[in-house]
Amino acid sequence: MGAGFARSVAAIFATMCLAIGGTAFAQATVKLGELEAQTGAINTFGWMSSQGTRIAVEEINKAGGFEVAGKKYLFDFTQVDTRGEPREATVQFRKMMEDKTPYIFGPFLSNVFNAIRPIAEQHDGTFLMLGGGTSLHDALGKPNTSYLMRTWNWDAGPQGFGTLMVQYIKSLGAKKVAMLYQNDAAGRTAVDVYKKVFADAGIDLSVDMFEPGTKDFTSSLAKIAATKPDYLFPGYTDAILYDIVRQSLEGGYGAKFFIVRGSIGPALKNKGEIEDYIAYVPKYFEEAEKTEPVVKKFVETYKAFYKRDFPYDQAPMCSSSCYDHVYMLVEAMKKAGTVHDVMKVKEAMMGMRYSGLWNIRFDPSGEQVFSFNIVRITKGGKIEVQAFDPTK
Amino acid sequence: MIQLIIGQLLNGAIVGSLYGIVALGITLTFGITGIVNFALGAFMMLGAYFTWYGYELIGLPYPIAVIVAVLLVATLGLVADLGLFRFTRNNLVNGLLVSIGLISIIEASVLLTWTSTPKDLSYVLPGSLRVGGILLPKIKLAVFAVLLLVIASTYLALTRTWIGRAAFAYAQNPEAAALMGVKTNRLQTIVTVYSTALAGLGGALYASLYSLEPTIGAYYVLKAVESAILAGIGNTIGALVGGIIIGISEGIGSVFLPTAFRDAYGMLFLVLILLFKPSGLLGSK
Repeated sequence: MGAGFARSVAAIFATMCLAIGGTAFAQATVKLGELEAQTGAINTFGWMSSQGTRIAVEEINKAGGFEVAGKKYLFDFTQVDTRGEPREATVQFRKMMEDKTPYIFGPFLSNVFNAIRPIAEQHDGTFLMLGGGTSLHDALGKPNTSYLMRTWNWDAGPQGFGTLMVQYIKSLGAKKVAMLYQNDAAGRTAVDVYKKVFADAGIDLSVDMFEPGTKDFTSSLAKIAATKPDYLFPGYTDAILYDIVRQSLEGGYGAKFFIVRGSIGPALKNKGEIEDYIAYVPKYFEEAEKTEPVVKKFVETYKAFYKRDFPYDQAPMCSSSCYDHVYMLVEAMKKAGTVHDVMKVKEAMMGMRYSGLWNIRFDPSGEQVFSFNIVRITKGGKIEVQAFDPTK
Repeated sequence: MIQLIIGQLLNGAIVGSLYGIVALGITLTFGITGIVNFALGAFMMLGAYFTWYGYELIGLPYPIAVIVAVLLVATLGLVADLGLFRFTRNNLVNGLLVSIGLISIIEASVLLTWTSTPKDLSYVLPGSLRVGGILLPKIKLAVFAVLLLVIASTYLALTRTWIGRAAFAYAQNPEAAALMGVKTNRLQTIVTVYSTALAGLGGALYASLYSLEPTIGAYYVLKAVESAILAGIGNTIGALVGGIIIGISEGIGSVFLPTAFRDAYGMLFLVLILLFKPSGLLGSK
């Protein structure tokens, strides 16, 4: 009976080994995780990235995967919804580290990155994180952050859109600007950044901050209007912008807006009342769709994939850790000849200039530089689009 | 500066009346069922979403969309009362737990159905009126008028009708009210459903003013509880007064002090009132 039992155990063990081994031989995978807010009050910054990344992964896997050093791989893709909650994100990120996920897209939210950063630093060198959050900028180049690449251009960099836009409104005669931002990590970082940019441009900047959850901005707007600014600089999500723009116009507090985070939707909704609305838009899809075949294809793919209308207002956010970046990652792995050595993959990515929906490259610190648009909407809804490509 | 202050007084009153309508629901429910129904914020949010759906997606005229939304929310309030709150009456802790659970269910359902992407109504009543150099949005004035009318009607109904007097009687002495022929179970259900409908109306009107997110209810129910306590729980007109005081404190406070602490100004006022009058501004000892 003892020998029979041993034989049975051996047979089961052998079968299991064959099954596991067989699966492994049939399908090598590379784990890709995405840590973004897909829902929640500030999901604007994660929702589109999540949508675009999924399309790219599905396209690649459906086409049979990608080949690196003579071996075929598929993506083993996991998306989690942080809802913008740092505590929730910490649990989800820890799980990704336990699962040894080597490539992570996100986060775009500074509060989430600040929360997971200590855990990430403990695992430095074992994974690569491509996130867009503002606070990632300060982390780049610091000890134990070699895992980090920031997939968003820096407002105040030498080729930053913020610097450029401030110069632009200066050329329009702006002397005084009022910033109305949310009192949180990203809001405070933005204030610090733009205080310097406006000071360098010789424009007077006043700052008022509001509590998250605020819906009635009348008192802030009235207080700001009393200082007679040339432009109101509100931020930083559409949920807030729609309310601020409307209340500012209805209360007669100001009709000129300067936007570096958010869409042109509030301007289009109030096109009869606004005087000037200058917004940073990573890509003005409505126009690009007509002139760039790759954009047209993406819009069509999106509609077919999700079976719904294309979200033109959200689509510009796909410039960070999204569709293009999945393909960039594949290219980098091919170039590095490895899927496991994440630092080699990072090095390959740093040396690339990718042309997809956007032209993308990384600067020496690991921060993304990419093509973008500045859109100006004036009374009646007249739209002017300026294109910039600092990757050239 | 005077214009700025007057403007904020008016705006604070309008914003505060929205707190007041939910506060009225809180105070009525507590008085009759012994439950602090935090889920009224979630019902308010539902009212806002139903209005958005009716007005924006189905194309109903705004007043019809509001009526439909209020009826739908009231129906859900009835279902919640018969299925849940009926079993927690006069049990503060159980009622609180059920209402908190209900918030999660309602918020998750809205998230699942309409996602968290903010929704924004096409303007119902665009434009502003200039009153003494101050621009006041027409829609805010209209919402204020409707809320005042509803709260005044509720007060009249409570003081001038049999069911209103029955509710007062029940709140003062349930046993005596029952002995006098008041059908207490039915009365509690009516009050719960009416409170839910008030919250739904608050949400429906809110939708014409601000963008919608599934989390808006939590903010408003806290303000409503604050307003109800400030005025004195159980006081109908006090709910409105409490809401207006909180709204004005926030508005005026934000003018002279940093806006980032706006929520604290109403709270500070509440603490000061409770220090000197623990039963609330209009509450009886």
